[in-house]
Amino acid sequence: MQKVGGKMKWIPQDVETYLNAKEYVDTAVIPIYSVSVGGDMKQSAAMAEFITLLTSHLERQFTGRLLLFPPFTYLKVEKTEKVLGDLQIWEENIVNSEFKHIFYITTEIEWRTHENEVDGSLIWLPSLPLEQMSDSQKMEMIDSQVKQLLILFTQKWHENG
Amino acid sequence: MSKERVSRRQFLSYTLTGVGGFMAAGMLMPMVRFAVDPVLKAEAGGDFIATKQKVSELTAEPVRVDFTFKQKDAWYESEVTNTAWVYRDDKTDKIVALSPVCKHLGCTVNWNTDKEHPNQFFCPCHYGRYTKDGTNVKGTPPLAPLDEYPFKEKDGYLYLGKAKPRKGA
Ligand code: FES
Repeated sequence: MQKVGGKMKWIPQDVETYLNAKEYVDTAVIPIYSVSVGGDMKQSAAMAEFITLLTSHLERQFTGRLLLFPPFTYLKVEKTEKVLGDLQIWEENIVNSEFKHIFYITTEIEWRTHENEVDGSLIWLPSLPLEQMSDSQKMEMIDSQVKQLLILFTQKWHENG
Repeated sequence: MSKERVSRRQFLSYTLTGVGGFMAAGMLMPMVRFAVDPVLKAEAGGDFIATKQKVSELTAEPVRVDFTFKQKDAWYESEVTNTAWVYRDDKTDKIVALSPVCKHLGCTVNWNTDKEHPNQFFCPCHYGRYTKDGTNVKGTPPLAPLDEYPFKEKDGYLYLGKAKPRKGA
């Protein structure tokens, strides 16, 4: 079957493609963001938008090697230990299903202090204000960041074989 | 936890600082550029879509050309951006516009990024390679050449159609 502009997202067709090409798709990408209800709602939504755009563009560049998971979300008010515990359970499951590399991508600064508590690579980047931008400006900006991530991913792949 | 792991993480945060700095610079740049550029929106020309690339400016070095159009996806319309690698073949003087979608599993290929194999298209996912004309290099994962876009020139600008698969070499 000819795949036009392949995709590796969390939808049944793509997951099937993944299952058929498992030996090549060795990388899991998990977006992480928190949800705030109340005063910080808007900022919370902005972060979610940023991470969503970024990871879907990333997925486009690396379709054949990574599977983009649904985001890991939690309430901002939740206890850190609980959130961390939940993520570790995700990780355990993903590792058990033969993914060799796991990348978590987040704009939440708190995660920086927990990067040693997960085995996957935790990538933190600042959320950029997309709100004021036109679509093409958004694209351009996201693209330049994905280029940087490309370098990072390539290095990781190299390092861990 | 091993020492080795810590150093790997340090490396990672180091690299990310770089990403941040780069992004700050990236924020101002596009705005200037977009203010100056006459923004060409996709305009009807059959199935050909306008790009911002002037045909006269193409050289033998492949450049990345992005073009955007509207696509209906289930029940909502979205903007889709596609990319082409375009150059002018110095032997035949013809324009060549190749799809960046790797024929192995669909990653995006780049021009001339593999130091060991210069002047080829390189796929970072499983190290697939293609020669400049898009032919897949034997012994690397892709089994077919890169798709090719039909193109047109209108008012000096490059218009691209729908990428088509080519016969294997
Ligand atoms: S997707 Fe390009 S080599 Fe595998």
